[in-house]
Amino acid sequence: MNVAILGAGNWGTVLAHLVARNGHDARLWTRNAQQRDEINAARTNERAIPGLAIARGVRATTDLHAALADAELVLVAIPSQSFRDVCHRASEALQPDHLVVHASKGLELGTHRRMSEILVEETCVRQLGVLSGPNIAAEVAQGKPAGTVIASHFPRLIEVSRAALGSSRFMIFDGTDVLGIELCGALKNVVAIAAGMADEMQVGDNAKAFLATRGMAEVTRLAHAMGAESATMMGLAGIGDLTVTCASPLSRNHRIGVALARGERLAAAAARLGMVAEGAHAAVAARELARAHGIEMPLFQRVHAVLYENLAPRDALEELMLLPAGHDVARFAATRAPSVSRGMLRTVSRSS
Amino acid sequence: MHHRVLAGREIADDVVRRVTTRTLDRADVDGGPHLEEVIHETIYTEQHRLSLYDAAPRSGADRAFVGWLRHELACANRERRRELIALVVERYVNEISGHFAPQVYAATTRCLPSALAAFMHGLAHGRAIGRREWFDIDDRVLIEGHVDALQRLATRGTVILAPTHVSNLDAVLLGFVIYRLGLPPFAYGAGLNLFSSALIGFFMRNLGAYTVDRQKTDPLYRAVLKEYTTVLLERGQPSLFFPGGTRSRSGAIEDHLKMGLLGTAPIAFRHGLEAQSAKPGIFVVPCTLSYPLVLESASLIDDYLRTEGGAHYIDIRDEFEHPRRWVDFLRGLAQLDLRVHVVIGEPLDCIGNPVDHQGRSRDPHGRVVDPSRYFTVRGHLAADDVRDAEYTRTLASRLMAAFRRDTVALPTHVLAASLFSRMRRDASTPDLFRLLRTLEPEAGVDQDVAQRDVAAILDRLRQLESKNAVRIAPEVRHSSPEAVIQRALATFASYHATPPVEQRGTRLQATDPKLLYYYGNRIEGLAS
Repeated sequence: MNVAILGAGNWGTVLAHLVARNGHDARLWTRNAQQRDEINAARTNERAIPGLAIARGVRATTDLHAALADAELVLVAIPSQSFRDVCHRASEALQPDHLVVHASKGLELGTHRRMSEILVEETCVRQLGVLSGPNIAAEVAQGKPAGTVIASHFPRLIEVSRAALGSSRFMIFDGTDVLGIELCGALKNVVAIAAGMADEMQVGDNAKAFLATRGMAEVTRLAHAMGAESATMMGLAGIGDLTVTCASPLSRNHRIGVALARGERLAAAAARLGMVAEGAHAAVAARELARAHGIEMPLFQRVHAVLYENLAPRDALEELMLLPAGHDVARFAATRAPSVSRGMLRTVSRSS
Repeated sequence: MHHRVLAGREIADDVVRRVTTRTLDRADVDGGPHLEEVIHETIYTEQHRLSLYDAAPRSGADRAFVGWLRHELACANRERRRELIALVVERYVNEISGHFAPQVYAATTRCLPSALAAFMHGLAHGRAIGRREWFDIDDRVLIEGHVDALQRLATRGTVILAPTHVSNLDAVLLGFVIYRLGLPPFAYGAGLNLFSSALIGFFMRNLGAYTVDRQKTDPLYRAVLKEYTTVLLERGQPSLFFPGGTRSRSGAIEDHLKMGLLGTAPIAFRHGLEAQSAKPGIFVVPCTLSYPLVLESASLIDDYLRTEGGAHYIDIRDEFEHPRRWVDFLRGLAQLDLRVHVVIGEPLDCIGNPVDHQGRSRDPHGRVVDPSRYFTVRGHLAADDVRDAEYTRTLASRLMAAFRRDTVALPTHVLAASLFSRMRRDASTPDLFRLLRTLEPEAGVDQDVAQRDVAAILDRLRQLESKNAVRIAPEVRHSSPEAVIQRALATFASYHATPPVEQRGTRLQATDPKLLYYYGNRIEGLAS
């Protein structure tokens, strides 16, 4: 089968490598001609994933049309803030029979759109899914065992993705909660920032686990209010991804947390690390979403304050410890009660 | 206008054949139900229905049939069970198709306007409506929006007109709209209860309605109903779907659509492609109805509050049964120069993409998309029920977005929404039912407060309108808050025996908060 992979960052490159290792034709799209030539000639992509000898079946291209033509499956691994731009450019070549799986963890700034929503807004594609899980690209590239989840409402898409990517080293679980997986992927990055701060402050493993769990409880609350299944948070894309992000000092979000705990400002840390972490964007989106859905997120609120309002991480932790402790695990009604009135009423009452 | 003339019997036979074959094919194979279980399900669900709805139409004959079925099943061998299933299916098909024969229907629809006039005339008898205020439907109905596209698409494929459902009057109104736009006759499934009403039954039987019994939960009945709708579409029969399934009880725009009915659109489209039909296109055209007054508003909101929106059996003997209420209603419309707004929305394909005048599907950037490729796998058409169900969900959400966008805010909606939300804030309880219980009989709002509230809602509506998120009636857009209030008061008073709100001195008294809630709900959810 022909598979197109959009985005030759570390994850996109590794996904292309997996596809080619399975004997499929992998066409890897990048904007960068130098990167293309390096992949096609030297079989390396040093900037994105140093040391990987890229499988022969991977063919890099800068031509979106060439990448997408007669591809059955399209994998999109583009950072969330340029996701719309790439979708827009690809929309000319994308067709209704394309199966599209994205592997981008984030929400669009300003609109808070999820990546699947952007795909539908920008292209004619309907058969889409999301891939997420505890997947450090370098480990997957080395062939170390890993599991991931692909959520989609289209069973055939999952089947085809499994054939393209799955192996005895890379296990693909399935699900249907696209919304839940996308929210998990984006929001857990905020929790990772908190975990990074805890590490740097040396407040102990108990405190770190405490923060991570409470953070995840907040994610679950918000995701549920937005229509996700709370059980999704227990899966690979939820607790699984959180575990690896909090444990790994290499994660960008974790490193931002460390820098903030050292007293560095976000802008300076981002400049030094060469990139703004997704979690810093997600904290803004989470704050607005929590407000819109009437959800309390004390930990998220304080991470936001540390990032953007100069709250000292240590003070933030103190504040959290002084909050009244409620139920550990929230119980959710199976179906949400119909809201009798929404919308304009709320807007009007706020403005008066 | 040219369209195929369909033979009713041929359609019914096709449906019987398809459903019977599919049921028998699925039964007794690995994992499928046993033939006996299929019949048990019919007996069980039908007995249950008959015990709940004792006075349901045809219940005597149905009870006898179920009794007979039980008796037959007791001593049936395999062959006999297969026959019994075929008999049940055939019985359901006959009930649904009933009087409906498209060729007869095509002829009768041509008489619609004169039938309608005769009906109004009958009402006018007894000087209830004087000559001066003679009701002319052309003056009372404003048809706006993508009218041209609808007319063109009717010649290029099969059109599904998908309106919001406000009132039992909708069917009559849409019959008029279809006639006035010169469209071919449309078929639609009307609730069984409508046929038992002498007044409405007259229209139902003349409007190409086939029968839908919402109380029947037998999976076999559902399968038959779905297949019947699908076959009509495949044969190019334009159809009217009320995708909400039932009249809005709360007065709000639909926020939930029935997937079963809408789901026939992608299936019929795929079947059309498989059969290499010359015109396989299925076009779903949203249609939004905005009434300044709703004939059966009081019964609807009562039913909503009683059941909190559940789809319960509603006694059909509501305002619709009383000619006197019709007279008041129509006279109100005529005297105050009120209009019902019918907005034809942007046509969609069966996946929810916008469709142009030529019937071509468009992507979000306006590029032409080949909709058949939504149904192909490596270039070949492929059946996939889960995929098609997901397409239907997208179609449904696009339809609901169109309903919100094309709703016309009228003075009665604006005043009701503003007063009700003011009283709700003053009562400081978020619980609707407690609020309605505890409101004082003379609850009301000072006029200057009401004017400020109305002005705030008008601002909000104008903002929404500038983003194409709603439409505002001309009499609202260009009027002062005071004028909007006065017009709404006069409108309410023209029809409701107890108007939901009345002016007393400098106060606006909420005389029927339930009705205020009902009318306000129409525009309440728009901002979310």
